[in-house]
Amino acid sequence: MLNCQSHLDLVEGLIDGQAVEVARDTTILAAVRLLNRSVPTLCHHEGLPGDGNCRLCLVEINGRMVTSCMYPLRENGFVVETDNEDIRRARAFVLEMLVDRCPSSPRLMALAAEYGVTPEERFKGDDDLCIRCGRCVRACEINGTAAIGFAGRGAERSVTGPFFTAPDDCIGCLACAAVCPTGKIVFSEKHGRRSIWGREFEMVRCCECGRPYATPGQLSRPEFAANEICAQCRRRLMAADMKRSFTEY
Amino acid sequence: MNPLEDLLQSRPGEARQLLPLLQLIQAHYRYLPEEALRAVAEKLELPLSRVFAVATFYSALSLRPKGETVVKVCCGTACHLRGSETLIASLEKELGIKLGETTPDGSHTLESVNCLGACALAPVVMVGDETHGNVPAASARHLLGKVK
Repeated sequence: MLNCQSHLDLVEGLIDGQAVEVARDTTILAAVRLLNRSVPTLCHHEGLPGDGNCRLCLVEINGRMVTSCMYPLRENGFVVETDNEDIRRARAFVLEMLVDRCPSSPRLMALAAEYGVTPEERFKGDDDLCIRCGRCVRACEINGTAAIGFAGRGAERSVTGPFFTAPDDCIGCLACAAVCPTGKIVFSEKHGRRSIWGREFEMVRCCECGRPYATPGQLSRPEFAANEICAQCRRRLMAADMKRSFTEY
Repeated sequence: MNPLEDLLQSRPGEARQLLPLLQLIQAHYRYLPEEALRAVAEKLELPLSRVFAVATFYSALSLRPKGETVVKVCCGTACHLRGSETLIASLEKELGIKLGETTPDGSHTLESVNCLGACALAPVVMVGDETHGNVPAASARHLLGKVK
């Protein structure tokens, strides 16, 4: 039996026939991944709260289909299946709709191929890399300044700054671009200036190596306070420090 | 005191007051002015992006001024079968605007809705708060005259 955590409050059940014991409220997705079994996901990100947007992580629990990223395991005796004909059909249906919207995303096309899905000519619309998974919106809320958000609903839904303009509150931290699963969110860094979401930021230079490495808005956040050197230099200096302390003793 | 300030004061500064406040502002101005959304975000201590997301999500809220009277034509299955499309065409002609637009004098806005839940009365049209059932396509003028 696979025991996930030395936690007192455990629940046990079966995942694809294998007995497991996990901490109560572990999501099905987390439990499945502990077993090194794969479930496809697009909107899920380890560092962000679940949102159940992409509907790709569908699995069955006690014969009922649910999004595994949002479903907490609470009762003993659960029986989870992560792969059967119904599940594959449901995931293929979701992928059909996604690839019709975003046929130019290599990641989506790879998933689609795995499920035997090809874009349908009759649904051909604007090829848009954004799948409305909301990872960027969640990342901006948690790591950034909640500068971007969704606007509209249904087919009209989009990610944007307020009033469909460049977001005033953006600090250029790139958290949104880092979590985007399809590469829709692009940025550029040229001549010490960073551009994203129609905004441009003069970057601060590392006082060790002189390379531009962050925006003033990023450095004004408490978690960055007093960091005047870039991540690479910081690691290099820490390693040198450690080496010195080892050789001294 | 300006009316926006009055509206903001009428509710406690809690995040859950977002939608009620936006509804009050919509009812007063017949749209959500940008400065009002900014003021709501500040008062409720919510990111402007969240306020904007809610403001654009509900079709009862609008970023552009709506007419004094909003004419909503039901385009549900039953209404569609019983001629809502012809009805829209004649209302468009009568008002001189396209579906979704507002007359230049600000008197009327023409909208379609997916279902008003009165399929037995199809086709159904709402003129302001009044609901009209079994509306013949030829009655567009009559329908608008009723509220003038």
